[in-house]
Amino acid sequence: MTDHVDAFTKQICEIIVGKNQAVKLAVACLLARGHLLIEDIPGVGKTTLCQTLARSLALAFQRIQFTSDLLPADILGNSIFDQIKQHFVFHRGPLFSQVVLIDEVNRATAKTQSALLESMEEHHISIDGVTYELPEPFFVIATQNPQHQVGTFPLPESQLDRFLMRIELGVPDRASERAMLLGMDRREMLKELKPVFSPRTLLEIQDNVRKVHASAALLDYLQDLLDASRQRHSTGLSPRAGLALLHASQAWALMNGRDMVLPEDIQAVGVAVMAHRLGHDIEQPGQSGRALADNLLHSVPVP
Amino acid sequence: MSKGKSRSWSQRDRSIPRRPLLWLAAALLFTLPPMFASLATWIPCFFLATLAIKFWMEPKGYRLRLAPLKLILAAMALVVIFFSYGSLKGVEPGVSLLVVLMSLKILEAHTSREFQVIVTMGWVLCLCGFFLSQDFAIALCLLVAFTLQIAALVQFHRGSSPGAFWPPLGAACKLLAQAFPLVVLLFFLCPRISTGFRFDFRDALSAASGFSDRLSPGSIASLASSSDIAFRAEFPDSKTRPPGPMYWRGVVMWRCEGMEWRAPYTPASLAHSSSVGASSARRTEFARALPIQSRGGKAIRQRIALAPHGAHWMFALDRPFEAAPGATLANGNYLWSVQPIRKPRRYEIVSSLESTGKELQPRERKAALELPNSISPAVRELAESWTAQNSDPHVIVNNALQFFRTHGFRYSLSPGEYKKNDLDQFLFQRRVGFCEHYAASFATLMRLAGIPARVVAGYLGGEYNDLGRFFLVRQADTHAWCEVWLPDSGWTRVDPTSIVAPGRASLDLNSFLDRRIASGEMETRRSAFVTQLTRLAIFTNIRLAWETLNYQWDTRVLGFDADVQEALLGAAGIASSGPFFTIAEILIVVTALLIFYACWMQLRTRSRTDRVKGLYERFCRKLTRLGVRRDPWDGPSDFSSRAAQLLPNESKRIREISNTYITLRYSPESGTIAHDTFAKQVSAFAAHSC
Repeated sequence: MTDHVDAFTKQICEIIVGKNQAVKLAVACLLARGHLLIEDIPGVGKTTLCQTLARSLALAFQRIQFTSDLLPADILGNSIFDQIKQHFVFHRGPLFSQVVLIDEVNRATAKTQSALLESMEEHHISIDGVTYELPEPFFVIATQNPQHQVGTFPLPESQLDRFLMRIELGVPDRASERAMLLGMDRREMLKELKPVFSPRTLLEIQDNVRKVHASAALLDYLQDLLDASRQRHSTGLSPRAGLALLHASQAWALMNGRDMVLPEDIQAVGVAVMAHRLGHDIEQPGQSGRALADNLLHSVPVP
Repeated sequence: MSKGKSRSWSQRDRSIPRRPLLWLAAALLFTLPPMFASLATWIPCFFLATLAIKFWMEPKGYRLRLAPLKLILAAMALVVIFFSYGSLKGVEPGVSLLVVLMSLKILEAHTSREFQVIVTMGWVLCLCGFFLSQDFAIALCLLVAFTLQIAALVQFHRGSSPGAFWPPLGAACKLLAQAFPLVVLLFFLCPRISTGFRFDFRDALSAASGFSDRLSPGSIASLASSSDIAFRAEFPDSKTRPPGPMYWRGVVMWRCEGMEWRAPYTPASLAHSSSVGASSARRTEFARALPIQSRGGKAIRQRIALAPHGAHWMFALDRPFEAAPGATLANGNYLWSVQPIRKPRRYEIVSSLESTGKELQPRERKAALELPNSISPAVRELAESWTAQNSDPHVIVNNALQFFRTHGFRYSLSPGEYKKNDLDQFLFQRRVGFCEHYAASFATLMRLAGIPARVVAGYLGGEYNDLGRFFLVRQADTHAWCEVWLPDSGWTRVDPTSIVAPGRASLDLNSFLDRRIASGEMETRRSAFVTQLTRLAIFTNIRLAWETLNYQWDTRVLGFDADVQEALLGAAGIASSGPFFTIAEILIVVTALLIFYACWMQLRTRSRTDRVKGLYERFCRKLTRLGVRRDPWDGPSDFSSRAAQLLPNESKRIREISNTYITLRYSPESGTIAHDTFAKQVSAFAAHSC
């Protein structure tokens, strides 16, 4: 099981050079059945990461570019009257896919964002009184521009909470960038990519992630973290955040070949899981969520 | 819909849910029996009525609202209670007031807070029940009431949502069961302090209990239907009842007034130096004074549990030859308590069934022959006719008994009224009487014939309980008989009643009467059905078992007083010097026990992992000494890598220990590694490097 995951991670890392940690987090997010939010400037390889993930798993892939005039029907699909059959036919939107890349999610209006996030949570779409199940596995990767850019509609906290992790890719270091510059065209490489394992195997691995043992001592630590966040910040971590932290660390433990979660696993995924949930503390406006999460992990003792 | 919902929401604090109220009502019903037994009847009735009214009012939302009305009702209650008892002081008026005020509170209550107030007051009512009576049956009743009140509280806190009806009761029983060890502990340790304030519980009762210092015609017959318990006696030395009739000596009456006899108000003590506590000195004195022991008379030891009666009488088998503690042996060989007996009293006494051969002092002889002037000539003539025939006292006594046997005397519970001068009317005309008539007239006749005589009042018989091996003597068994002085045998018991009613002496009164009724000699007192029913063996057995239980309750639980406790604590090594020291000592013991209990609970809840954690911390301390400090937020795996890097020589051991720790603490297979292995690894690590 771990071999599969290793091979999978390795294949992605060949394309996304020098971003091992971010790639591993992205894979952990996928294995924990969460959705991923990538926050970074354009051109650092967000789309490439998504495509690599989708192709390595032989999953259906769709990309939606969010703009300020995008409407919910554009992503969910809509009913069109069929002249010949004399009734409405539902045409599925691009969201009906297994890996969906939402580019620049904070460019769309709140209405469209909500439509997307609802379907992320519920794994189904209801239109005209009919409920359509989304395919399994269903994995959304959204990218967003840093908030200070012009023409953005920042996601509210409640919707940020739906993303299991938020990661940043960042510019590669000098050596990695050189390797990228020297290497083959990424688009060519993507075309030659072979799936590492089947969607069925992915579902199995996802099931196994939930079975990774979390001992009482570990849950104590997790709850200590949650309590500490609630005491220190006006908007502490929600119970959903607690679950997210547990599932992400379970995935991380599995990726590291263990059948039990260690405090280190929580610490490894901690910033990615907690930062976007803590970044809205009105009492500490200067602090980024990343710093707050880091602070938590470096002050709550491991019991 | 929304309206209904909001209404039910607001109603939550406007009314008391029905189910808790039902439980509470059931509980309060069980607090009633002691009230019916001792309070003015209207009070429990009023209480019952309020409960019923509450159930009618509650669904309608009615309640006692107006403050002036409440005040008027409370004032009225005060006045009525004052007129019922003639006073507001004492236990009964106090409890009555509490009951009435609680009834009003029930009518007034409508919030959840007030419900809890009622429950608390219910507990106070349980306590008051014990003020009124401490019977075993009452205790059972109050225990049920107590349980039901807890059930009411449990139900109340579970809300009024419908569900199974019985779980609250189960929860209440469980709570009580959990509290039971503490109850036992408190029962043994809580100091019984009898100094300080005192209730005169039994003042009202002393008039009702049968015995008095005056034997007047009809005084004993009036007790024949009383089923109150006088005392219970057991014989610690023998497994069966002693043979022969059981004459329980109570008081000796010296002063004769014809049909009426009297005991001295404060009796002259038989031994002049007799005082409380000097029992050993007294014993030797009596050994000298009473040659009975040297004659080899059969001594019977009895343990008697006396019910409180408010007077000084104490009872023992005919006749006691030494005083019980706190009592004197009065002239006439009967026991006389120094203090009036207002609470249950237990004592041990030794009696001899044989009469004493002591000489009669001239002063005593004079007292035993004294006669009133009002004796009619006819009676004097009768007595003189016997002395004229033969001057031998034995013959005279036999003649007198013969007189009673042959002249158509009848034994009856309702002999009609006699005045104290009606001696000749009894002897020559009506010839119907109860034991006191026979004893009084016989003794008077003896004195007329020149034989020193006195009347002894006490109890005859009693019911022997095979199960508990004790005698239960009731007020109905009150009896009076005579003692005459015969030169060769001293004071000798003569029971003229046994001549008239043969068989009475070997049975308790009720059995005797039942037998007479069965044989048609007497009119029935009860309906035939009840008589038939009570004669069934199973009921007799149930009754005997119940009486045994009561006896055990009285002696073991209620009898556990300050003295017994002190003895017990002394045996346990807790010496006491005054009640306050006892309290202090007991507090220390209880605190120590509580601390012990807390520690034990702490130890029990401390899981196995805590030991692992402690060992790991020890390991970390050792590493700190080696220069690798673990930050509190360091995970074990990260830390071991770091330490291994910094201490390459120890890296293998460090990884080993860390892996064991991780397995023990985080792995699903934590049970596969023994803690001792880990402990050994940590110890070895210290030994090796430090």
